[in-house]
Amino acid sequence: MSSRDNAPERAAMFEAPEDFEAINKLYRERRWSDGLPIVPPTRERVERMLAHTRRARGEIVARLAPGFGAATVEHVAINAVLAGCDPEYLPALIAAVEAVAAPEFNLQGIQATTNPVAVWIIVNGPLAKRLGINGTFNCLGEGTWANATIGRALRLILRNVGGALPGEMDRATQGQPGKYTFCCAENEVANPWQPLHVERGFAAESSTVTVVGAEGTMNMNSHSKDAAELLRVIAETMIHPPSNEYTHGGEPWLVLSPEHADILKRGGLDKAEVKRRLWEGSKMPAARMSAEDLMRARDSRAAELGKIGPDTLLPISQRPQKIGIVVAGGPGTHSIYVPCFGNSLAVTREVESQ
Amino acid sequence: MAKRGRAAVTICSDAFLTLGRAQARALGSPDLPIAVIAHPFGIRTREEVRKMADQCVDEVVKLVGASELK
Repeated sequence: MSSRDNAPERAAMFEAPEDFEAINKLYRERRWSDGLPIVPPTRERVERMLAHTRRARGEIVARLAPGFGAATVEHVAINAVLAGCDPEYLPALIAAVEAVAAPEFNLQGIQATTNPVAVWIIVNGPLAKRLGINGTFNCLGEGTWANATIGRALRLILRNVGGALPGEMDRATQGQPGKYTFCCAENEVANPWQPLHVERGFAAESSTVTVVGAEGTMNMNSHSKDAAELLRVIAETMIHPPSNEYTHGGEPWLVLSPEHADILKRGGLDKAEVKRRLWEGSKMPAARMSAEDLMRARDSRAAELGKIGPDTLLPISQRPQKIGIVVAGGPGTHSIYVPCFGNSLAVTREVESQ
Repeated sequence: MAKRGRAAVTICSDAFLTLGRAQARALGSPDLPIAVIAHPFGIRTREEVRKMADQCVDEVVKLVGASELK
């Protein structure tokens, strides 16, 4: 069964050898995999997956740049099988496909760029617990079936339906490990503030996926117990001159550990105030950029900032509210800075109940 | 633009030609005229970019002419 077929009605079927090695050889030769072995998408497995949505198999969920292939419900299901997803994961994956196709996400840029950007999926609401999506220990590492396979399935869809094959339409200079899979839940129980989906306008009892164009993860290990000091070192980590965010005015993200979030909460700070202080603290003198990058920033941010001179303090994003914050992880003094693509806004979509 | 009857040319650096051709096919314009310039582009000075534009302009005019004749 192929997921490269663009016809919206029905994915193409093909006869394949039964043994695992032979079918994986076929997928490898045709570049239908991400470089890892796949689960053969037999008719039976795809039907089991499709039983978990009320949508018609031929319904187009979205057309995906840069090849603008039609991602039907069936195509999504096939790639979910390939990735090893449990059938119950399908609605979350459909919502993720809808989210990446939203114009403000700029999938065209994300898929075709030389930048290493990967799509990070954040799951909120009761579904995260029901599907076993990890938001605690090692939530961005290996070892949790749902995190690993949902992220992998989206990547396979972006390749097989969107057509972003490395060296062809995906022009990434190096890429990054997150392009294999990049998915976690928010640790809502340990979050002292509103969870991400509520902050973004959804009901607490709803379940959502949020997609972010993420360049990678930068660890911040601080044993500080003081809110102001902790914010200072985080803000200083966010500052780096060859950054798409300072060039374009982006949407940087932070994964705060529950311990760090607790310190900030006990310091009397709500999430909005944390964002405001980080935005102020991460302003960077434009002169720290290279001359060429400074010219690019002038071209990109003139409407927002007016004339940019070497002494101009560049904010990392247009407004403090554009800094994204989730609380995730287990015990420990590690938070993560997630620099982002710059020309992309995160998108949240509600997951349909089955 | 071409689909609306206007002459259209895309300028693309050679490192992105594969992407440009593949995307033109995907969007239903397999014969999209593409003028090719040398990569890398991002590290050039403004002066170098002007020289590249001067060198490219004849190719662009030729492609526009060919496009209008169709």
